[in-house]
Order: sequence, then structure tokens, then C-alpha cells
Amino acid sequence: MSSPAESRRAAEPRRPAAFSVDDPNVVIGPGPAAEPPRRVARAEAPRPFASVAVQPAAPAIATPAAAAAVPIASVAAAEAAAARPATPSRPVPWGLMFWGSAGGLVVLGLALSVIDLVADLYGRSGWLGTLGFVLAAVAAVAFTVIAGREAAGLLRLKAIDQVRDRAAEALASDDRAAGRAAVTELLTVTRHTPTLERARVRVQFHLNEIIDGRDLVHLAERELMTSLDEEASRLVTNAAKRVSVVTAVSPRAAIDMLFVLGSAIVLVRRLALLYGGRPGALGMARLMRHVVSHLALTGGLSVGDSVVQQMIGQGLAAKVSAKLGEGVLNGLLTARLGLAAIDVTRPLPFSALKRPTIQDLAGSLVRAPERDAAAPPAAARAATAE
Amino acid sequence: MASFVTDMVDRARLAARAIADFGENLVRPTVRIGVTGLSRAGKTVFITSLVHGLARGGRFPVFTPLADDTILRAYLAPQPDDAVPRFEYESHVRALVGDRVWPDSTRQISELRVVVEHKAGAAPGQTRTLTLDIVDYPGEWLLDLPLLGKTYEQWAKESLALSSTGPRAALAATWHAYNAGLDPVASADEQVAITAAQLYTDYLRSCRAERYSLSLLPPGRFLLPGDLAGSPALTFAPLALPAEAAPPEGSLWAMMKRRYDAYKDIVVKPFFRDHFARLDRQIVLVDVLAALNAGPAAVRDLEFALASILDCFQVGRRTLLTSLISPRVDKVLFAATKADHLHQVSHDRLEAILGRMIERAANRARYAGAEVDVVALAAVRATREARVRCNGDELPAIVGVPAAGERAAGHLFDGEREIALFPGDLPADPERVFDLGPGGFNGLMASSPDDAEFRFLRFRPPRIERTVDGLPSLPHIRLDRVLQFLIGDRFQ
Repeated sequence: MSSPAESRRAAEPRRPAAFSVDDPNVVIGPGPAAEPPRRVARAEAPRPFASVAVQPAAPAIATPAAAAAVPIASVAAAEAAAARPATPSRPVPWGLMFWGSAGGLVVLGLALSVIDLVADLYGRSGWLGTLGFVLAAVAAVAFTVIAGREAAGLLRLKAIDQVRDRAAEALASDDRAAGRAAVTELLTVTRHTPTLERARVRVQFHLNEIIDGRDLVHLAERELMTSLDEEASRLVTNAAKRVSVVTAVSPRAAIDMLFVLGSAIVLVRRLALLYGGRPGALGMARLMRHVVSHLALTGGLSVGDSVVQQMIGQGLAAKVSAKLGEGVLNGLLTARLGLAAIDVTRPLPFSALKRPTIQDLAGSLVRAPERDAAAPPAAARAATAE
Repeated sequence: MASFVTDMVDRARLAARAIADFGENLVRPTVRIGVTGLSRAGKTVFITSLVHGLARGGRFPVFTPLADDTILRAYLAPQPDDAVPRFEYESHVRALVGDRVWPDSTRQISELRVVVEHKAGAAPGQTRTLTLDIVDYPGEWLLDLPLLGKTYEQWAKESLALSSTGPRAALAATWHAYNAGLDPVASADEQVAITAAQLYTDYLRSCRAERYSLSLLPPGRFLLPGDLAGSPALTFAPLALPAEAAPPEGSLWAMMKRRYDAYKDIVVKPFFRDHFARLDRQIVLVDVLAALNAGPAAVRDLEFALASILDCFQVGRRTLLTSLISPRVDKVLFAATKADHLHQVSHDRLEAILGRMIERAANRARYAGAEVDVVALAAVRATREARVRCNGDELPAIVGVPAAGERAAGHLFDGEREIALFPGDLPADPERVFDLGPGGFNGLMASSPDDAEFRFLRFRPPRIERTVDGLPSLPHIRLDRVLQFLIGDRFQ
């Protein structure tokens, strides 16, 4: 039976120690050391320091207390373990199963018919059969490559989403490790953007310094996203302008619609490429879905800040001409879609930098008819960026 | 009644200056930064490093205005008060970089004005200036601020009670013995007052030794009298008073009471009025590590000292009305200094301990609408980080040159040799370092330097090589975050 002081000492963390720098065991460098604090911290983390902490009972009666504590703890752990798989009761993905198996059947049918065809061709003549076989092989290889690219594109989009989630987490918790992880992933995602080379080197350098999670993410956002954001605003503004002009001059409503749709897809694709994604056809479909659902979510929110101006703008424009009014409306729609696409494709949430507003992106559309209106400063900035 | 009138006069004077400041602020935007900290908290080094970094365009990636080139340049300007000595910025830099010693403890008040020229608005070529006024002063004087709200009787009672608790009882034994023989209602005797004040001062001084590192030691001028040494205003001490209210005419009690009030009027009030009543932003520097070195009693003591000092400041959201009538601090930053004495993996825990220590003041500031942040800070970073493999474990250590005469883990250092030090693991639960009971930690107060649970040594300032471009900026930890919090919003 040990005295309380002794048992406390045994449970205690490591003692202070001094070493010579020549000691081979000393590794100088900022690399993350083993972090025993983290392990313990996680166990106690949920308690904010503001609350009054209740000290655990003094370990004077260490043995019985410990003996009693162990089964309770293990029972609790077992309960927790039992509860865990039950909570995320995911529904069986019937839709996925259907499309997966149906697609498999179609591919099998195609393969079968191709094999039959090649066999028939061989039946006709030897060289015809060889040609058929070569064509089939090339098609198969090309299909594999395309599928691989699509998969890679999807993975990349997923990686960008993950970076954004991690960054948001680091912004909320201000945790150094989380911030570092998010920024490291961001550097990987933006690896292929040549214009960011210098900024990436700078951020890489800051990764080794003692900077807290939120500050590090802000730093990375300012360094890496500033130029991309400007470019993105420019893309959206140009698309919006083009759409409004084409709508205003086009003779047929059907042409307008096609053009609006086409330029929306092109815009989303360009934004995705700009921010480091490279979506294929599947990736684009996924992105468009996200953009539209994001638009539905945020549309209601952003109505408040710009609806008045839209109404005024449209009203003025409509007075000049109904067709011009339609053009402005379509342009605004494109700008709004672009804004949603920026939110979806940008690998970091807007935090240190200002999120562009509809006025920044499409201010010139609304302002164009009312020549004498004073330019809002943000719109002026967007205009000078061109 | 008299005190009410003087109080009103003080307030009126304060309001008048506030209005004058408000007017001046329109012409010349100014931020008064209150650098608050007890002695040895690192005020002088903080100010030196901050000014050096601003003037040299130091490496402050998190401080946005400097990182994105909004700030064009920063330079020292003549200070506003002619009667106050200038902050000896140049000699402090020389001491830090040239001789690699920390500046001597501050003995008098000094002032510094930094003018920061920055871009204004979107138009190119348009500049504006922001003036930073910073005051450095001996940290001991800060201990006087809580006296403003106390009468002599209250103070004497509290001081006596405090001096009989914990490690103080032994240190105050001589003074207690002398005090026991005094009769407060006996007629006043100058020699008795002098002896009592002397013994009381000795007791306060001994509490400051590194081994005890106690903080709550008012009145501050007893420790650092300056040119008031020997004057009647500094010749008083707490007496064991009877419960009845009024001191008899001509008694020792009456004399002490009068001198205490004089001390408040002559020393404390002008100091507070001139330097703390009108602040825009405040940073509270706290040397948590010295208290952790000494033991739980020192940690508790620091907590009480900070709580009573921080109660004296006006914090809260700034509105047009408050900035005209009673200026308020709208951003308060609490910084645990000397964070370079720890590996970065322990910084979060250091912040948690400081957060727990100033919890009440921080909450009060938050409720009043002020912004509050807590950071682990090293204004000048004296160490590097390292990992040490030891008995199958990897210890997060720091590498630096300990000052001559420091002791740890059985070694005595000569001030030249570079070592790797593992200072000990801070507890995950900040509550533990406040525990005075048997569960508390071992500090220098209770054990030898080789047996203490934490050893935070004083390291010498880092070696900085002069390059072709002149002196590079000083290395730091989170000084940029501090700047961003304190003045980052003033560069629009």
C-alpha cells in the first residue's frame, strides 16, 4: 500500500531534465514532438477552463477505488462501443445498388455483343477480325482512361471539400495541429497552380513557425486565395455581362435559354479549374448539383442585401426596354450562380478575405442604364481589375 | 464629503481631457496602448520588441497591415508629455542584441510615441498616420491601484490577514513581533513609524525572492521608492487596529491613516489619472511561469493581485457617449509572457492556466462588451525547439543559453553553455496548479531547485547576427497575433 504522496508521484508526468546539446539524443528542430499532452487533453478536453473543476477523490484509498473504477469504466466503454455503430444507421443505398447493377449489366451486354461482333468478323475474314479486335481494344483502353480521369476528378473535388471542412474546423477551434493539417492539404490541392508558386513557398515557410490554427488558415487564405478570388470575380463578371448582352440582342427566347445554360456550365467549370479542381463529366454533374442546392440555400439570404438594387436596376432597365430588362435579370442570375459556384469550388471558406457580393460582380450591369449613378467602391474595384 | 468633492473634480477633469482627446483624435488618430504587467512580467522587452518590429518591418505574418503592405513605415516621434522621460528604446535594443542581456528592471516611468504611416482607402498615394502612445513604468506601482478604493482601516486589516497566511507568515515574523508591541491609540511617534515601515518593507522585499515569487505586495513605492524615499508619505505601515471606527486625535493610528491617504493622493491618483484612466487598448502581461516555478501559493497570490488590479480599469464597448465622458478599453488581451521557455506543445495549457487565472476579469470585460483574448507570448524568443529521446520517451525540449547562476535538475549554469531543457509537463487540468492542498504541485517554495516539478530557467536573449541590411527583426512568438488583435482594426 503506497502513501498518497507516492501514488501521486507515480501517476505524475515527467520530471524536468537538462541535456547537453551535444547529446546524440537531442534532435534540434521545430518538428512536432511526441505529444503526450494531446492524449490526456483529449480525455479531459470537453471541460472548459471556465467551469469549476471537481477534483477527483484523493487516492488515499487507491486500491479499492481503482478496483471499483475499472469495471465501471469498462462497462461504460462497452456501452459506448455498443451504442456507436447503432447511431449512424445509414439506409441501404437501393438507388446506388440499382444503378450500379444496371450499369454493370449494360456493360456486360455491350462486351458480349462486341465479342460476338469480333467473332463474326473473324468468320468473314482474318484481317477484318483483327481490325475489329484492335478497334475494340483501343475503345476499351480509352474507356478505362476516361473512367480513371473521372474518378480522379471526383476524388479531387472531394479533397477540396475536405480541405474546406478542415479549415472551417481549424477556424472554429484555433487548434494548431488542425490548422497545420488543413493548410498542408491546401498546399497539396493547389500544387498544380503555377501562379501560386511563390505564395506556396511563403506559406510552406510559415508552416514551421508557431502560429495558431485560425491565424495560419487566415494567412494561407490571404496568401493563396487573393489572386484567385480576383480572377474568379473577373470570370463571373464577364460571364454575367456576356449573358446580359446576348439576352438583350438575341431574337429568340430559346437561344437565350441555351446560352444562359451553356455559359453557366462553362463558368462553373472555369471556376473549378481556377480553384484547383479538374472535374470531368461526372464531376461537373456533381458540382452543378452542389451549386444549385447552394444557390437554393443561400438565395434567400442574399436576397436581402441586393434585392432592392435589383428591383431598381431592373425597373430602370425595363423602362428603357423590356429586352434590356431581361438581359439584366439573366446577368444577375448568372452572377448569383457564379457566386454560389465560388463558394462550392473554393477550397477555403471566406474568413480573412471578404466574400464578393452581387454588387461587386454584377454592379456594372445594373449601373449601366443609370449612367450618372455613383459607383459603389467594391464595384469600382471589380471594374479596375479588368 | 470632501472625498466626494475631490472625486467629482477628478471625474470632471477626466471628462474634460476625454473631450480634448476626442477632438485631437479626429485630427490625429491615436491609440493609447496600456501595457499592464507586474514587475518582471516583461513590459520593457515587449515594448522594445513591438517598436523594433514595427520600425523595421519585422516578420509579422499574422499582422495583416504589415503583411499586405498597408503600413508604409513607422518611426519614433517626440512624445506628448514634456515632463516624462523618454523610453530608452535604443539602449534597450543595444542591451538585447549587443550584450545579450535583458533590460534592467524599470525604475521610473517613461513614454514613447510611435507614428505609423499607412495607406488609406482604395485611392493610390493617399496616406494617413496612426499614432501609438505607449507608457512603460515599474510594475510595482501597479499594485497601488487597488488601494484607491480602500480606507486605511480596510487595508491594514487585509494586509495583516494576508501576512499571516501560507509562506508569508514566516517572512513577516519580525514585523509581526514588532507590530504586536505597538498600541495604535498611543500618541504618535516618528521613530516608531519609521521602524514599522522599515520592517514592513523588508517583509515585502523578502516575498519577492525567486523562491517565493509572491505578487500581491502593496504599496508599490515601498519596494521602489524613487525620489520619495524617506518622505512621510512612505512612512506608514498596517497596524493591528481595534474594531471601533474613529482614531483618537494625535494617535499613531491617526498619523498612519493621514499618511496612507497622502500616499494615495500624491502617488497613486496622479499615476492612475495620467496613465491608466484614458486607454484605448490594453494588454495585460503575466509572468505565469515564475509563479509556477515557485509553487501553488505564488500562483494563487498572482491570481489575487491580478484580480484586484484589473478591477480598476474601465472596460466595455466604446460608443460616442462613453468616449466623450469616460473613455473605455474596448479590447483586452491577456498574455502569458516568456512562452519561449516552453515547447509549443505546452502553449495551449499555459493559455488555459492564464485563462483560469484571470477568469473573473475576462468575464467582466466580455459582459461589458469588450473583446478579450488570451495568448502565450514571447516578445523576444530566446530559445529554439528540440526533441530529446530519453528512456524510450520523446521529450519536447527547448534549446538556449541559461543565464549565469540558474540551476535545474542538478546542474548549475555559467551563462555560456547552450543546453536542451525539458521544463516539465504542465497539467492538462489548469485547476491543479491552483491547488494549495496535498494534491498541489511542488515548487521552489517547498523543495530544492533539483526537486521542483517545473523548472523554467531564465535564458539569455538570442544571438542575432547583423546583416548587410542592418539589424534583422527580433524573433518572437505570437507578437504578430498580439498586434493584430490590439491595433489590426485601426488601419482602414
